[in-house]
Amino acid sequence: MNTQAIASPDARADTAPLPASKPDHPLRETLKIFLKNKSAAGGLILLTIILLGTTIGPALYGVDAYEMVWMPLSPPGDGTPLGTDYIGRDILAGILIGGRVTLIVGAASAVMTIVIGILVGAFSGFFGGRVDAALMKFTEFFQVLPSLLLAMVLVTIFSPSIGTIIFAIGIVGWAQVARLTRAEFLRIGNLEYVKAARAAGARDGYLMFRVILPGSLPPIIVSSALVTGASILFEAGLGYLGLGDPNTLSWGMIIGQNQNYLLDAWWTVTCPGIAIFLTVLAISLIGDGINDALNPRARKRA
Amino acid sequence: MDTFQRLSSTFKRLLEAFLLVMAVVVLNFLLIQLAPGDPVEVIVGEMGGASEELMAQLRAQYGLDRPVIEQLGIYVGKVLTGDLGYSYYFNTPVLDLLLQRVPATVLLVMTALFLSVLVGTIAGAVSAKKPDGIGSHIVTIISLVGYSAPVFWIGMMLIILFASMWPIFPVAGMYSIRRPDGFAYYVDILHHLALPAITLATIYVAFYSRLARTSMIEVLGQDYIRTARAKGLSERKVVWKHGLKNGLIPIVTMVGLQFGQLFAGAVLVETVFNWPGLGRLAYESILRRDYPTLLGILLFSAVLVMIANALTDLAYRWIDPRIRKT
Amino acid sequence: MKHWKSFLAATCLAALGAGSALAQSSVVIGTPGVPRHFNGAIQSGIYTFLPSANIFASPLRYSDSWEPEPYLAESWEVSDDGLTVTLKLKDGVTFHDGEPLTSADVAFSIETIKENHPFKTMLEPVESVDTPDDLTAVINLAHPHPALLLAMSPTLMPIIPEHIYGPDNGPIRENPANLAPVGSGPFKMEEYKQGEFYKLVKNEDFFLEDKPKLDEIYVQIFPDVKSILLALERGDIDMVTFLSSPRDLSRLEENDDLVVESDLGQAIGPINWIAYNTKKEPLNKVEVRQAINYAIDRDFILNVLLQGKAPLASGPIDPGSPLANPDVEGYDLDLEKAAAMLDEAGYPVGDDGMRFTLTGDTTIADEEMGRNVLQYMKAQLKKIGVGLELRLAPDFPTWAKRISNYDFDITIDKVFNWGDPVIGVNRTYVSSNIRPGVIWSNTQQYENPKVDQLLADAATETDPAKRKALYDEFQTIVVDDSPIYFLNVIPYSTVYQKGLTGVPDGIWGAVAPMDDMAWEE
Repeated sequence: MNTQAIASPDARADTAPLPASKPDHPLRETLKIFLKNKSAAGGLILLTIILLGTTIGPALYGVDAYEMVWMPLSPPGDGTPLGTDYIGRDILAGILIGGRVTLIVGAASAVMTIVIGILVGAFSGFFGGRVDAALMKFTEFFQVLPSLLLAMVLVTIFSPSIGTIIFAIGIVGWAQVARLTRAEFLRIGNLEYVKAARAAGARDGYLMFRVILPGSLPPIIVSSALVTGASILFEAGLGYLGLGDPNTLSWGMIIGQNQNYLLDAWWTVTCPGIAIFLTVLAISLIGDGINDALNPRARKRA
Repeated sequence: MDTFQRLSSTFKRLLEAFLLVMAVVVLNFLLIQLAPGDPVEVIVGEMGGASEELMAQLRAQYGLDRPVIEQLGIYVGKVLTGDLGYSYYFNTPVLDLLLQRVPATVLLVMTALFLSVLVGTIAGAVSAKKPDGIGSHIVTIISLVGYSAPVFWIGMMLIILFASMWPIFPVAGMYSIRRPDGFAYYVDILHHLALPAITLATIYVAFYSRLARTSMIEVLGQDYIRTARAKGLSERKVVWKHGLKNGLIPIVTMVGLQFGQLFAGAVLVETVFNWPGLGRLAYESILRRDYPTLLGILLFSAVLVMIANALTDLAYRWIDPRIRKT
Repeated sequence: MKHWKSFLAATCLAALGAGSALAQSSVVIGTPGVPRHFNGAIQSGIYTFLPSANIFASPLRYSDSWEPEPYLAESWEVSDDGLTVTLKLKDGVTFHDGEPLTSADVAFSIETIKENHPFKTMLEPVESVDTPDDLTAVINLAHPHPALLLAMSPTLMPIIPEHIYGPDNGPIRENPANLAPVGSGPFKMEEYKQGEFYKLVKNEDFFLEDKPKLDEIYVQIFPDVKSILLALERGDIDMVTFLSSPRDLSRLEENDDLVVESDLGQAIGPINWIAYNTKKEPLNKVEVRQAINYAIDRDFILNVLLQGKAPLASGPIDPGSPLANPDVEGYDLDLEKAAAMLDEAGYPVGDDGMRFTLTGDTTIADEEMGRNVLQYMKAQLKKIGVGLELRLAPDFPTWAKRISNYDFDITIDKVFNWGDPVIGVNRTYVSSNIRPGVIWSNTQQYENPKVDQLLADAATETDPAKRKALYDEFQTIVVDDSPIYFLNVIPYSTVYQKGLTGVPDGIWGAVAPMDDMAWEE
């Protein structure tokens, strides 16, 4: 699970060598290229549908996902569109409402991952020397620990709730983002326009977050899409293991709660799994699209 | 002087690695103390209840009644002498328990890794040859599926398909309980291994095929490949020999970097398939507050990651002669 | 790498061993729990009891109608004043290592159990055990203790050899023989692979003629029920014990190759209930607790949620016990009455339509009889303006910590009778057992002097009819006071392949000697 989380930002090896001459890439052109990309546009449409489904879907569908509405484990079409779970709750309603937790946890923990990653990477790359050595040791520490286990320990200690799950996922997955940011900072820090700003007496904070960071954002943005997808998978994994917030439903939890009925009722685990799959797929397609739009070499290839 | 420098740098690296492992142990030891309840509660739960006196007696027996810092000191002291402590839950030395479970996990992870590197690299290389061909699109699609679907869910789908609807594989465990003899025994294990290994491999196939494709596209555009082509070498030789060898570099790097995390995927896969490995043991020991076992596993995996990183360095040097010089 | 090889070698040997044994009769039992060890004299719980009851023998065993029968003891006699119990042992019984079993071992075992067994009240009145000769043991009691005879069952009183478990071999809790037990029961321990399986083999010198019938029993440990069921359905394993999920039982009953035996284990008496924290507002008011009971349709829980598979438990004692009182009043669903009672108790409906909100605890592992019940309660209680916030603990210790420190309003709980009420029932109700930090003590903090008195009297009452009357009254009061709303007996069942006979189905369920088990010819 977190193999995906940790490894993916680096998977796009081709994102890193961004031409330095373009720190302020024309946004409009990028957007145009992005939208021309069929699979990226498809991903965007898919994600929009999923977001609509989870926001207004429950109200439109009108079935309470937490209520027993039908015979337990009745198959799709037999009273309910996607069947019912082991206590007779409507699977479709569960998927619609469960998407909220999954998406909120996925997005929030991705933000946390990225913010921590950027901060650590920025300080490390900017100051270098002992700061760099210390921060990189710290990063290595988190890389050495199996992140899923650490997250499980954290969630168990603080009891599963949406907050603790976001915290646990956010705290364990940032090492790769930090390394990526650090590499960008090291590269851009030596470029002429940064040197010029430094010579003009800009303060460290200004240099880091106003001068260097914007230049290093493109690969970070691409990796955020991957981090978000990975966080969603991570949340699903915790939910599956039974470490989700008990007062809500999420896609992973629906799968986990129904896993004992896997052979009686395939729909209970299949449908929420497809929902997770499509969501991560959409985000991943969008990430690809952004990557291609921001990366001229990849663009040539496409 | 040179030798001395090299020795001292090796020593420094070893020391750093050692400190990192100790940091992992100490942090997790302290972290776990924050969890509500202790192993004695778990034991009492299994016993169907017990008196206050017995609970106190058990706590004293396991040293749980001492201050946390003292417990930490005792634990670290033991670890330094190679003693990983005693599992509260299984009533057995943690080291024995780990050694019992390690082979299952290693078998699962290595098989999955082998499958995925093999399939992934070939697929990636094939698609790199013709970036716009059908093969390339198929690789893209497979890699998207592998990346986007939760690994435990893939496992469940495989169970539904191949252990229930079309029962050609066993659904759980590592071997049949009435174990067959000799050769059949290994076949039995392979039979049990198939679904979990394929499940775990799906993530990595996706990942490596992508990586291999990117890397190969890059490599095939390099000057020396053009030179090789110009020399009149067959296209097959160009791609598979020169191209692949260099295209492998990032893959090897990732294999090394990922090694520790492979283990995390194993937690979920082992849970789905009831595979008697370390991942499942880790999960169970969290739920059972079996601190020594959990710490032992974390320690083990940290050491494993570092060894993997060192091996990656070596492999890197072997594949890429340019690094050897520096 | 080295270990990998040694592992292969070891498993290879095991494979050879198992292979050659295939010609003999064996049974594979699937279980979801790991025994901490196999010494039932100092460790309780079904996962220890199952092997322990087969490895060790005990003075008595019990018929389906709760009548004692000879086992290690040929005869037994309770004195008229109820203060001494004399056991006459069978002659010529030996332990698995060949040493003879004598009254000294019986005395040692009883003292060890009294000292170490988690069920403190079981042998508490035992003052001493005299051994006038090798085959006679006289148990001296401080006061009459009618619970003693049931406590001599294989489950609760394994006779352990003094020469192995005695003080000469160090503290008993750390004795290595706990994991490599030596007893005198029908089966011997041959191999244990921690957390994976253990193997029991026939005791050729067992003291009962022509028993045991099987050559070997494997107990394979699975971490979850799903994989056990699959293995059973595929025929990989022959038998599963302590299966309790109504959903699983229904599924297995449809399988023509399997037998589902549910009517057993009445002495274990596993009861599932809703417990109230009777010291916490507003549940400190008996009317509030009763109102909640009235808002819950117990029939719905039994018939729909539990699919009619779990018998009703109307009170604290298993309905299959001769001491159960079947005539206690229930609380039939009546939402209006419930609302009225809450109004009267001083909890009117607020502006938001709610009176108050409570928390409901259980663990995530407890699905059908825990989470589902709470989820149903949540929906029901909403109708009378009571909120219920679910708190599902991620694991047992988290839950146990909360409950045993009274940090809860309502919790699902499962408590076992374990034979006589003195052992497993009293602990939940007597006010002297309100002990913070101890799970399955009186965590409801229920106090009623009358109940304390009744239970104290019943513990020493030797006349069965009078004893029953005392327990009857106790049950009526407890249901009225409602520190607990009793739901169901957990339908622990044994499921096995057709063709297997003599599967234990008595009052101790599967935690009994399997000496009569065999495959049909």
